[in-house]
Amino acid sequence: MGVDNFVNWLRDAAGSLHDNAAYLTELDSAIGDADHGANMDRGFRAIVALLDETSFETVDELMKKAGMTLVSKVGGASGPLYGTFFLRFGTALAGADLTPATIGEAFTAGVGGILQRGKAELGDKTMYDAWAPALDAYDAAVAGGADLAGALTAAAEAAAKGRDATVPLVARKGRASYLGERSAGHQDPGATSTTLLLESAARTLP
Amino acid sequence: MIGIVVVSHSHALANAAIGLAAEMVAADNRPVIAVAAGLDATTFGTDAMAVSEAITTADSPDGVLVLLDLGSAVLSAELALEFVDPDVASHVRLTSAPLVEGLVAAVVTASTGASLAAVAAEAERGLLGKQDHLGGGGGVEAAAVAATDQTVEVVVGNEHGLHARPAARLVGLVNSFDAVVTLTDLDTGRGPIDAGSLSMVATLNAQQGHRLRVGASGRQAAEVLAAIGELAAENFGDEPTAAGQTGSRAAGSLASGSGLDVAIGPAVIAGAGVDLNDYVAGGDEAARLDGAVATVAEELGRLRDASPEHGGIFEAHLALLKDRKPLDEIRAAIAAGTPAPVGWKQTYDDLAKTFEGLDDAYQRERAQDVRAVRDRVLRALTGATVDEAADGGILVVPELDAATAATLAAAKVAGIAVRAAGTTGHGVIVARSRGIPLITGIGDVAVPAGATVAFDARAGSFEVAPDEDAVRRTITERQTERERAIEEADQPATTVDGRTIAVLVNVGSVQDAVEARGADGSGLVRTEVLFGDRRTAPSVDEQAEQFRAIARALQEKPITIRTWDIGGDKPLPFLPQDQEANPFLGERGLRVFRRRPQLLRDQLEAVRRVAAETPVHVMFPMVTTADEVAWALDELGPRPDGLEVGIMVEVPAAALRIDTLAAGLDFVSIGTNDLTQYTTAADRTNTAVAPLADGLDPAVLQLIDHVVRRAGVRVAICGDLASDPQAAVLLAALGVDELSAVGPQVPLVKERLRHADLGQIDTAAVLAARDATQVRGLL
Repeated sequence: MGVDNFVNWLRDAAGSLHDNAAYLTELDSAIGDADHGANMDRGFRAIVALLDETSFETVDELMKKAGMTLVSKVGGASGPLYGTFFLRFGTALAGADLTPATIGEAFTAGVGGILQRGKAELGDKTMYDAWAPALDAYDAAVAGGADLAGALTAAAEAAAKGRDATVPLVARKGRASYLGERSAGHQDPGATSTTLLLESAARTLP
Repeated sequence: MIGIVVVSHSHALANAAIGLAAEMVAADNRPVIAVAAGLDATTFGTDAMAVSEAITTADSPDGVLVLLDLGSAVLSAELALEFVDPDVASHVRLTSAPLVEGLVAAVVTASTGASLAAVAAEAERGLLGKQDHLGGGGGVEAAAVAATDQTVEVVVGNEHGLHARPAARLVGLVNSFDAVVTLTDLDTGRGPIDAGSLSMVATLNAQQGHRLRVGASGRQAAEVLAAIGELAAENFGDEPTAAGQTGSRAAGSLASGSGLDVAIGPAVIAGAGVDLNDYVAGGDEAARLDGAVATVAEELGRLRDASPEHGGIFEAHLALLKDRKPLDEIRAAIAAGTPAPVGWKQTYDDLAKTFEGLDDAYQRERAQDVRAVRDRVLRALTGATVDEAADGGILVVPELDAATAATLAAAKVAGIAVRAAGTTGHGVIVARSRGIPLITGIGDVAVPAGATVAFDARAGSFEVAPDEDAVRRTITERQTERERAIEEADQPATTVDGRTIAVLVNVGSVQDAVEARGADGSGLVRTEVLFGDRRTAPSVDEQAEQFRAIARALQEKPITIRTWDIGGDKPLPFLPQDQEANPFLGERGLRVFRRRPQLLRDQLEAVRRVAAETPVHVMFPMVTTADEVAWALDELGPRPDGLEVGIMVEVPAAALRIDTLAAGLDFVSIGTNDLTQYTTAADRTNTAVAPLADGLDPAVLQLIDHVVRRAGVRVAICGDLASDPQAAVLLAALGVDELSAVGPQVPLVKERLRHADLGQIDTAAVLAARDATQVRGLL
């Protein structure tokens, strides 16, 4: 396990977000400003370009650079949110052994950054509604003796449930909150992209 | 003054909001406003890195206020605070004020020098006026009003009442006094409100004919009331004034010199430093220092306002003067018993030395600025008067800084003799453009103060105790020559052997074009100088208007607009650039815009617009490769009929492959100053090597010759060489079609060309000469 696993994750996530760009934008056009797919695709394509021209020695260096790329290239609120996630994720892994436990701590640190930045709470109809159950499922799996593959699979499944649960919610954060009650009945684009990221991690990181 | 940052999803929205706010305050009084908006000119989005860069650009010891639109703008701005230096972050404030109203209130309040907290409070009250007008607002607290003890009554005479701009004038005036001022509208009963708050004055909604009661208290209560009375009498500055005053010069402040290259007069020795021997220290050294600094700040502010063209120099001096770090050091020294001038001199000497020790030539040159500020304050402390060249005197200086060159009374000083060599430093260029007789490189020759001295730059001679009659005869001859030249300025420059050379003028302001005599148009419009005093980028309309004014002043003869030529030694306040170890070999000229093309696109839009109305040429500076030419042409897009396009040739690589670069162009224009310094690898601002950077070096002439023979299009020269009548003749003999000279030299260049027989010039011998001295001998 090393830098290459994380490079694979980022490349795979980029592919997945690219393939789902139209879908994400469609979700966002219902309750937001119809740019989430395009924004995420632009950000992750920039990460792929970065990976093509630079090789990284350490995971923390890689993830921080990926975070900075998202900060500058995404444009929407998901830029600073996912950007902060990767920055904190990378920082947490600086000098650490790569074990299911340390990677779990990195996820927790990254999501802590998202919360600090976005000030969202559970049920606000945001990406946090996917992240929160995913973290719980990951930690529970690790505590139960699961390996990284098992923990990430559990996290991705929990994220997907959280994502589906955003459908009836009324948005209280972001552009969707301007719609008030009319935001109910639509799946949250941020929770959707979070789930894609975690599904990609489960496929490629272990 | 605090700095302001605008964060928005949209580049266009941010710039439009800034345009709206900028209208409220005179250009030289605006805070720095930096923008972080859009991922590029058309893609909506925010970028935390860009926000942190904007904060760094706008940073001031007084603080930075960040206005933002919505959503990711807020998140990116918060994240940006994690990227900037913690010391900087500690005085940055993100405000929830509405973007447009808040920005207007912030710019006006900041321009009065108000604190960060005061500006933020005003911005946050930005909606008050609108809420009050439309009703149903509320939630925002009105500013508390203090009791006042003196009152006057004034009448609002303005046609549209006390609307935004007059209100801004009033607020600016009020805040410049040490007083609390209130306003009550006696016709509506509204008030009293705080007259130092733009939003509160706006809520007053005072209409034409309303009577206002103005109350004041505080140390300058009487003064502020008198000033408000005067302002009201002038309809709060709303008198119909001549439009488009920005960029024009204060009348008379820059009257030009004789334009001759020969001068005689008593020597005035300057730059020797201020004598501190007679200074008697007292118990109030700290107060004396504060007084001197305040006096100098006022002096520099006046100088800045009087010469917009060189305002940047004095702005820089003001920044040096107010730098807190040296001031703290000096205050500590004074507290330990050091007299103010001694402490001041010690600290600023050290600071100058620090600058001199830097690797970067541009930074090294700042030592000159430090010494200039040092001496100004020392003079204020000791009561010494500046050695202004008295009427008819010749100023003898070790080196000529641009500030001195820009502020000398050009019509009074007989001439300037500079000990250091080099003919392309900033000070020298400024002095020459003002028509002040000038000689450089006189060396260590002993010159007693008051002794009669004379020089003849054409002959390269400087004499102490000269044969006065002979000098005066030369002066009369040159004057006659000049007068005749001016009389015949409108005649074409047709040589004895029948070639007609177009002689144009270089302009950096509309005034330059107005004052030009006999120019066949402008061969160089320096856009970065034209708008160099601006804190924010000029709009397309503003640029088009200035270009039109220049074309009109030149009777609609063709003008050649050079796109922004910045970087190197010419930074622009509204396009911050990264620090470069070697700016002359870095992102200069066209190179700057490859990554950030928006400013260039706006400019090209203005060019295309004006080109549809009057003959216009456009040229791109600092081109090196054919790829850059293709990119520039692509950015220019489809051109209106008659818009000719060219490039500047300043880089030896461009000169050598001119046939490749010029394919598809209409002309090329050689910038001899840069071509010379790049060819000779000699920095024109470094006095130790400046003599190497001689425009008449045969290597430079060989490159010019190569360009003329290989370009296949019209070849112009717009560097300093074209302003030297002797060199102009040689350039014409080499086959150059067009020369663009500084204003005062245009008639002289034409006159000399009319008397030249180009066939008589042995260009082969010139090109084969061993050095510049030999070239001069051949002319």
